[in-house]
Amino acid sequence: MKQQYMILCIEDERAVLDALVRDLEPFAAAFRIEAAEDATDARQAVDDFLSGGGRLALVLADHVMPGMTGVDFLVSLNADPRTSSSRKVLVTAQAGLADTIKAVNQARLHHYIAKPWTVENLHDVVREQLTHYVIERASDLLPFMNVLDTQELMQALRERPHAAE
Amino acid sequence: MTVSVARSGFQISVTQLIGLLVGIAGFCLPLVITIDGLSPAGHRMFAIFILAIVLWVSEAVPMHATAMLVMLLMVLMLSRQAPVALTSGIDRQVLLNYKDIFATMADPVIILFLGGFFLAAGASKFKLDHSLSAVVLRPFGSRPPMVLMGLMLVTAIFSMFMSNTATTATMMAVAIPVMASLPTGDRMRTGLAMAIPFAANIGGIGTPIGTPPNAIALGALSSAKAADPTLMYQIPSFLHWTMGAVPLMLVFLAICWALLAGFYRSDQKSIKLELKSAFDKSPKAIIFYVTFILTVVLWLTEAIHGMNSNLIGFVPVVILLCTRVFTVKDVQELDWHVLWLVAGGIALGLGIGQTGMDKWFIGLFPWESMSPGIIVATLALAALTMGTFISHSATANLMVPIGIALAKSPEISVSPIEAGIWIAVGSSLAMALPISTPPNAIAFSTGAVKVKDMALIGGIIGIVTWGILVIVGPWFWRLLGIIPA
Repeated sequence: MKQQYMILCIEDERAVLDALVRDLEPFAAAFRIEAAEDATDARQAVDDFLSGGGRLALVLADHVMPGMTGVDFLVSLNADPRTSSSRKVLVTAQAGLADTIKAVNQARLHHYIAKPWTVENLHDVVREQLTHYVIERASDLLPFMNVLDTQELMQALRERPHAAE
Repeated sequence: MTVSVARSGFQISVTQLIGLLVGIAGFCLPLVITIDGLSPAGHRMFAIFILAIVLWVSEAVPMHATAMLVMLLMVLMLSRQAPVALTSGIDRQVLLNYKDIFATMADPVIILFLGGFFLAAGASKFKLDHSLSAVVLRPFGSRPPMVLMGLMLVTAIFSMFMSNTATTATMMAVAIPVMASLPTGDRMRTGLAMAIPFAANIGGIGTPIGTPPNAIALGALSSAKAADPTLMYQIPSFLHWTMGAVPLMLVFLAICWALLAGFYRSDQKSIKLELKSAFDKSPKAIIFYVTFILTVVLWLTEAIHGMNSNLIGFVPVVILLCTRVFTVKDVQELDWHVLWLVAGGIALGLGIGQTGMDKWFIGLFPWESMSPGIIVATLALAALTMGTFISHSATANLMVPIGIALAKSPEISVSPIEAGIWIAVGSSLAMALPISTPPNAIAFSTGAVKVKDMALIGGIIGIVTWGILVIVGPWFWRLLGIIPA
């Protein structure tokens, strides 16, 4: 199946990035998972995916990176109408108060995960964010039933218009 | 594989593309060749009928769009209001008034269904389904087979008033935590995931508003009767349908439960259902509860007050709008497209009858040599088979007019009621594949059910319930006096 929705991970330390992608494995059945080592890489990955008709569902970004910071990158995504509804999460240990405020106010940050993360917490946050995203944006919820919060999705399905039996 | 028109976001799958091309070719065929025994108008109707079959099977365009297309083509090719060039060579007596074609969108049975939609949407709005399920499930305790029975019964009861799909989504949300609490590999997970959609499909049989095929059958029966005053049958009232169908529904449910409880046993001694029954007690919710009860009481007491079920369907619509319990937004959110799909079926039936296409089509098969019992069994089996692969409503839309026309022919002693309704019920019993019905697709999407489980249990249920439907059903409905003896 060609995946229409992408999860983007941005992290400058290769080992940490690999760990993050590995921990997201349970979501790979319904989402394309892309890894980027800096904001330039990330921008490229987003542009490629969007031009193929895909959508960016979730970004997990580190803050301190060479070049553009994670928070600035999230702000730029929020300003772009194609990615303004994407769920945005910081995964960092080093964002100060000012950066965090900027992320909340200007990037409409959805969640902050403090490093080091636990797999369980990461799964919970990612599942919740993606569930919100697909309920808001996806026309068909069934492909996500098995991967995201099934109960939430069922309730959302109840509210939606139905195909004729 | 999909073909996409660059960047426009417009996508069409290869199956859909083939459907579109085959549909157009099939549509053209009766227009260019001459078929013996078929009137010129019949040729046109046959063209529209072929197009409808191909489009409903392939879903090259959405199903409700096909229904609207059928109406437009009928207006353009078979109505008195069509451009003259498009109806030349057709006997003007056969041509329909376009009013009659468009009127199918407000057919009384559509009004009945609209009432059903208001009740279902209200149940969702005030979470009546959640609070009721908690109350009803409590007495079933915690033994796995009993929990399964409780869930199936609640699902079936809801599905008598709500769409099978909405019921499945609601009740899956109740069943998911139970499934999650079972240890990995416990077979009851699979059993539960199938119990909900199957019970919803079966529950849809219970009332005229349970599922669109029921409305399609009732709509076609009344339009056939209106077109031919010599037909003497009485269209079943809400009460009659319910009296005739609920006992069958309960038997079908019991069979389904026995199969699922037997094949998918749990290793657990007891399972816990976490349910809170918190009834919404706001004034609007109370108005809704009262309206719901009033409507159902009116439906069941037609014999006393004499107002027919279709008319009563309009009562909740008016009460809930006047009291502002339903807002414009609630009205917009109704599944109007389902009503249009039903209307398209009624229009199709109208055209098939009016043009004489039905008589020609039925003449192709040696029905006279078959006993009435065999004919009804064949129709129901054909609906069951077709409904396994395409939508139940589309099945009913295509088959009900043919079945009713067959029953009308003088050489055959099958009641049109039996033919129409058995096709509708037969289609509801089709649940062997994830594609058979949206409830099955929802259950399948959880990953707890494999295709082979669904095919095995759904297939057995289909065949066994079909057997009961065609052997016991006619006898039972005659006993109740719904079908004339």
